[in-house]
Amino acid sequence: MVRKITGRIPLLEFENAWKIYKMGQINVPALKGISLKIYKGDFVAIIGQSGCGKSTLMNLAGCLDLPTKGKVFLKSHDISTLPESDLATMRGQTIGFIFQQYNLIPNMTAFENVMLPLEFLEYDDDDAAERTRKIMKLVSLEDKMHHLPSQLSGGQQQRVSIARCLASDPEIIFADEPTGALDSSTGIEILETLKRLWKEEGKTIIMVTHDLKLAKYAHTVIELKDGEIVNTQHKKK
Amino acid sequence: MKLSKCFKHAFNMVIHSKLRSWLTIIGIVIGVASVIAITSLGAGMQQSLESQMSGLGSDLLTITPGYSKGGSMFRNRGGDSGSSTATEEEILLDRTDVQALKGISDIAFIETEVGGKVDVSFLGKMGSVSLTGVDQKVWSDVTTAVIAEGRLLDSADQNVVVIGGNLASSFFDQPLGINKMFTIEGSAFRVVGVLDDTSTRIYMPIQMTYQLLEDKDTDIYDSIILKVKDEEMLDETILKIEKKLKISRHVTDKDRDFSISSSKQMMETRMEMMGSVSLFLTAIAAVSLIVGAVGIANTMFTSVLEKTKEIGIMKAIGAKNRDILSIFLFNAALIGLVGGLIGVLCGVGVSSMMPMLMGSMPMSRGGSITLVTLNSVMLALGVSVAVGIIAGFIPAYNGSKLKPVDALRYE
Ligand SMILES: Nc1ncnc2c1ncn2[C@@H]1O[C@H](COP(=O)(O)OP(=O)(O)O)[C@@H](O)[C@H]1O
Ligand SMILES: [Mg+2]
Repeated sequence: MVRKITGRIPLLEFENAWKIYKMGQINVPALKGISLKIYKGDFVAIIGQSGCGKSTLMNLAGCLDLPTKGKVFLKSHDISTLPESDLATMRGQTIGFIFQQYNLIPNMTAFENVMLPLEFLEYDDDDAAERTRKIMKLVSLEDKMHHLPSQLSGGQQQRVSIARCLASDPEIIFADEPTGALDSSTGIEILETLKRLWKEEGKTIIMVTHDLKLAKYAHTVIELKDGEIVNTQHKKK
Repeated sequence: MKLSKCFKHAFNMVIHSKLRSWLTIIGIVIGVASVIAITSLGAGMQQSLESQMSGLGSDLLTITPGYSKGGSMFRNRGGDSGSSTATEEEILLDRTDVQALKGISDIAFIETEVGGKVDVSFLGKMGSVSLTGVDQKVWSDVTTAVIAEGRLLDSADQNVVVIGGNLASSFFDQPLGINKMFTIEGSAFRVVGVLDDTSTRIYMPIQMTYQLLEDKDTDIYDSIILKVKDEEMLDETILKIEKKLKISRHVTDKDRDFSISSSKQMMETRMEMMGSVSLFLTAIAAVSLIVGAVGIANTMFTSVLEKTKEIGIMKAIGAKNRDILSIFLFNAALIGLVGGLIGVLCGVGVSSMMPMLMGSMPMSRGGSITLVTLNSVMLALGVSVAVGIIAGFIPAYNGSKLKPVDALRYE
């Protein structure tokens, strides 16, 4: 389903979206009627205490999960009505994920991990390898291409995961506590990388963090509390 | 994802698989190896039986005295547990029977035989062997024996014999060759022919045999061998012979006192029996394949569970359900294939060792008793891959249907 176009089109839009987890008999509402619009080129930080629903919101936005009630639109598509394979293509092409725990495949080298999304998108072998090499260079890992994740430091692994998320040249990058497992100086390095991608490559970035210092990098800060948005701030350019 | 890439990832999964996968593979290996070994044994025996059948003369009939209702192969199956119908009087075959048979135009040759045990000695070494007295005038026309050295008997022969291969080569301390003399029941005989077989049997003119065997009366036969003119008409000829002999021997179906067996019938019965035995063994081997399949299914369930997080990651970066399904199905098929390949190798190894394990089998005349056919190898490989895919399907399907969030949360 494609939305009617009125004025500037948000890249991502939540329309009274609810997520209710069923724990046996009890319903746990993790998101309670979220409405928001995120436009192309924004750098959004989602902050809030642990358990307030940040990851849940991120999962819906990233098509990893569907809302229980309400609607989520990504590039004007209602994600609840998209078939499974289209959602998969969307995740592969439009979206890049960076996780707190890196989530690299342990049996694959850094190079193979970065190339994997391109294989799902059925890139030509040579193109995929070429592009992978270029991106490995971009994150300064050209000398670690054939290392397994277990042979890399935390910061290096997170850079591999950034490289993987950049492989398919996505429009939006989702980062769920990307520095959560790193020491503060490495964390700042990673954030500088994200900032560069935002500024120089024009990527839209949505980042979850509970560290207010890191939230300062963002252009828009959305604060969640108990599954509801309690505050939205736009930094002046 | 392209299927070739799915295959590559599945292959990597097998390469990196744990000991458990290899144990699973052993299950398939055993199943496939036993199927190959058993089917090759069956095929080999079938082949050697077939070659014997052509060598044994499918146009030959043997008439013997006595009859049991159960048929000639299974003498103890009949209602009266195989006891001959007439016991008071000894049942004999004699000249009248031969005369009666001569009246049947379908018969090409009639040969009469008598047999018994005799003591033999050669250069001081003694022993006891079987002796068959044959009607040397027609023996060469009906016998299936193949001469290795020398000649068969002919009508002018008297104190000469043809002997089996083992009697010539290994029975005595010294080889007993052509033109050598040796003693049978105290009389000297000369060897004129050695047969190409592994027996210790002696063939000599029937008239001489009556002199050597005290309990056999002249012109009484143990068996009458017939060669029919037209092999195609064998069954009709048998009926004609039965009819004729019943009249000449004054017997009816009830008190019938002779049997007619054809080597063709005997072979066919043997083939049938062997066929069902090897089918039964194959079924047992197939059961072990099924057990192997259960093993694959089990491993795949565990493997999907172990890889849940990876499935989540792959889905987050663009894997479709179909990609995950393909990767895991390829993985299961590969486990089956690897098991199948190793199994075929083991099976071929075992079946080539079979002749040694089983010693010299009477069935195998020189040739191998096992026969690994390309068909059975292809079938075994096909089956093991199919087994892998079938066993892997449900776990792979379950894995592919996992929700990305749930899979990612799995630790
Ligand atoms: N799969 C789930 N099943 C049940 N409850 C869940 C699940 N995921 C999250 N929750 C609950 O939803 C709430 C929000 O979780 P989450 O979005 O992970 O919070 P955050 O990322 O802000 O720490 C929490 O109370 C959590 O316990
Ligand atoms: Mg969280």
